Amino acid sequence: VNANKKILVVDDSSLMRNFAKGSLKQLKLNNVDEAENGEEALLKLKKKRYDLILSDLHMPNMNGLELLKAVRSDSNLKDIPFIIMTLHGKKDLLLEAVKEGLNDYLLKPVTAGSLGQKLKKVFS
Amino acid sequence: MPDKMEKINGHLETLALKVVTLEEGDIPGMGQILNTICSLETDCEGMDESVFLLVVQAVKGYLERLILSEAEDTTPLEEGISCLQSIYRSLSRDEEFQQDVSFILKKLGSEDILNETDESQTGSRAEHEFTAGDKMPGLDKKLTDEDIQILREFVTESLENLASIEVKLIYLEESPDDLETINDIFRPFHTIKGISSYLNLDKINSLSHSAESLLDKARDGEIKIDEMIIDIILESVDTLKKMVIEIKEGLEEGVSLYSGIDITSLVDRIEELNNRSEKVMDKPLGEILVQKGFLHQDVMGDILEEQKLDPDKKIGEILVTKGAAGSKDVISALRDQRKFGRKDIDLQVRVDTKKLDTLVDMTGELVIAHSMLKRNDQILSTKDQSLYKIINQISQITSTLQQTSMSMRMVPIKSTFQKMVRVVRDLAKNSGKKVGLKMQGEDTEIDRNMVDELYEPMVHMIRNAVDHGIEMPDEREKAGKDPRGVIELCAYHRGGNIVIEIKDDGRGLHKKRILEKARSKNLLDGKSHLTDSEIFNLVLQPGFSTAKEVTGISGRGVGMDVVKKAVEKLRGRIEITSKPEQQGSIFTIRMPLTLAIIEGILCRVGQERYVIPSLAIIESFLPREDQYFTVEGKEEMILSRDEVIPLIRLGRIFGVNGDAMDPWNGLVVTVEHDGEKRCLLLDEILGKEEVVIKSLGESLKETKGIAGGAIMGDGRVGLILDIPGVIEIAKGN
Repeated sequence: VNANKKILVVDDSSLMRNFAKGSLKQLKLNNVDEAENGEEALLKLKKKRYDLILSDLHMPNMNGLELLKAVRSDSNLKDIPFIIMTLHGKKDLLLEAVKEGLNDYLLKPVTAGSLGQKLKKVFS
Repeated sequence: MPDKMEKINGHLETLALKVVTLEEGDIPGMGQILNTICSLETDCEGMDESVFLLVVQAVKGYLERLILSEAEDTTPLEEGISCLQSIYRSLSRDEEFQQDVSFILKKLGSEDILNETDESQTGSRAEHEFTAGDKMPGLDKKLTDEDIQILREFVTESLENLASIEVKLIYLEESPDDLETINDIFRPFHTIKGISSYLNLDKINSLSHSAESLLDKARDGEIKIDEMIIDIILESVDTLKKMVIEIKEGLEEGVSLYSGIDITSLVDRIEELNNRSEKVMDKPLGEILVQKGFLHQDVMGDILEEQKLDPDKKIGEILVTKGAAGSKDVISALRDQRKFGRKDIDLQVRVDTKKLDTLVDMTGELVIAHSMLKRNDQILSTKDQSLYKIINQISQITSTLQQTSMSMRMVPIKSTFQKMVRVVRDLAKNSGKKVGLKMQGEDTEIDRNMVDELYEPMVHMIRNAVDHGIEMPDEREKAGKDPRGVIELCAYHRGGNIVIEIKDDGRGLHKKRILEKARSKNLLDGKSHLTDSEIFNLVLQPGFSTAKEVTGISGRGVGMDVVKKAVEKLRGRIEITSKPEQQGSIFTIRMPLTLAIIEGILCRVGQERYVIPSLAIIESFLPREDQYFTVEGKEEMILSRDEVIPLIRLGRIFGVNGDAMDPWNGLVVTVEHDGEKRCLLLDEILGKEEVVIKSLGESLKETKGIAGGAIMGDGRVGLILDIPGVIEIAKGN
């Protein structure tokens, strides 16, 4: 994956964000910004063009599904690939997200191997 | 509720096509299918047939499990959709659906049980005794759960990568200079190298590294790809595969088998090829010079030695500075080298397709304007010779312009064909059969707009050929055939059409069984005598799934009628022939070269001219008075070949006064759409024409019964009939 890709990691847990960032780093992706929830993510998305959104599903102040819907209904943002990171057992929300045009999902904790595979698929 | 039924049918068709091309892990694709199934669920609520809803829900449940990676096999999904199609067909014929769906429901639901056990396995996975740390020489640290997870991913990914390399190598053999292909092979090796180094898998790392650097040199043009290089890359792929599979087995059984393979000799041989690089590159230029007599063989040897000391220097440079050859000679040899080495490549420009469409449209307008000019009274009566000359010249220019603008939208069918290599490979692998793919006429050109539409039907047909046509290797051997089956794709132009043939050398179609099945499904309409081609084409009928009953191999369900519909959308026809004595079958698709031209019968009703698309026409004839029946002057019917077909007076539909008040004074054309036949009454047939389709513009776009306008040879406009629309208007009246 091209090292210049700009990626936005959205998660309310800083530990999980670090996990994701660490994996991205292993994949030589250092152009990473963070947001704690959907609201903050949307603000960042409006300021800067990202190549990928990597978001948690359950978050206070706009969860991952709501963020996905907001992104897909915004003509400027709708083509940005969207990957959700989730834990086992959040099936309903995840299926809802798939219907809204999710590109892929990952099970937590995120590892470089699984992330790399998904990124390759999304960017191919 | 005809609207509702139509909607349901629309959803089902979308599903059938999408499912065929669905790949494992394609989340966005599955999302689309899930959406369609959800709309299907809403649309069929309150329907009488509860079985339908039951299956819809089961299919939905299964798809959800696929999305959540709780199930992997997409076959039950296809079977479920195919089952829905047959329930729908019974419903639309007002018949009761009598088949037992419990089998399919079980298949769609059975993963529940599997899933539970799967989860319990996940639980025990962590406890798996992985004392493999010391058993796996490649890994010096003890394996954590995460390591195992990563290793698993490495195994899947590497196997995928290696498979993709194998496919690409076939292309490379055909066009060894294609940089993109070299790149496509380089990349997966690079990935494997990267991850294996991270995982301390030394042998895999060193072998993939050697192969990668060999390809890197080829990529930079330092070495030329030849048979030897391809062979050694293939050997590397095989060895890597073996090693990866060992890791896989090791992970599954908790025992390491890793690194039992000796790779030193292979790596050495790759290095040898790597080192011969300079010689290979410089050979041609030297050879040419020697051949031309500019240079003596021995001198050339010295020069090559010299170059080894200073690899940055070009050989030509050394020759000239050394005075071994004149610069003129070197340049002329270089030119020759270029001439032989590279094929002529036409310069190309990328153009937006919209611009091309506009160009085609405008050329059409020009043709009209020009014919109007030609037929202008003043021009016709003029005695001015030079004016005639100019008009004739414009004629020629316009027609060349028209041809060129049309040809610009054409692209070779190659890319579509090449996608099939992978399809065949995967299918063969999954079914345990040996299948090769041959291609012919890949350079045949086809309208850009049709290329994408063609992909899904072709995948479907190829799958049909592998599943039902090609036999298992041992069965083939018994029949005295090569155990490896061959599917052949051919494309060529014939009579304004592009023809695509999909041939296989499998067992062919079994006439008797097709007939039996068609009879049992009531598809024969009471006809008793059918020609061979009529029998084979029964396979394309809705409701005739070529599943197990015909071939004995488990069928995939989704019927071939989906293919027929997709091809018809492109105004094409599909035909099936089968060679006797189990020598295989041929599926032939015939399509117009471009969607911008339509072949039709030009006919006249009163003062108006209409074009009936040839595709819809069955026959035309002059009806006798005794062939005409009517019920109270309303429902008019024509008896043709023992069939009573409703009559549509074209003039009445479009508000035009035709000449023929009684059908036996006019002419009748029988047309068919979706199994429904109608006789169209008209005054005269003017001939068969290929016409350029023009849209009627925004305001008239919605006109029912008219598909578009057509510019005739004389510049006048005719209207192209939309047969389904015409049938609908007649129903409304």
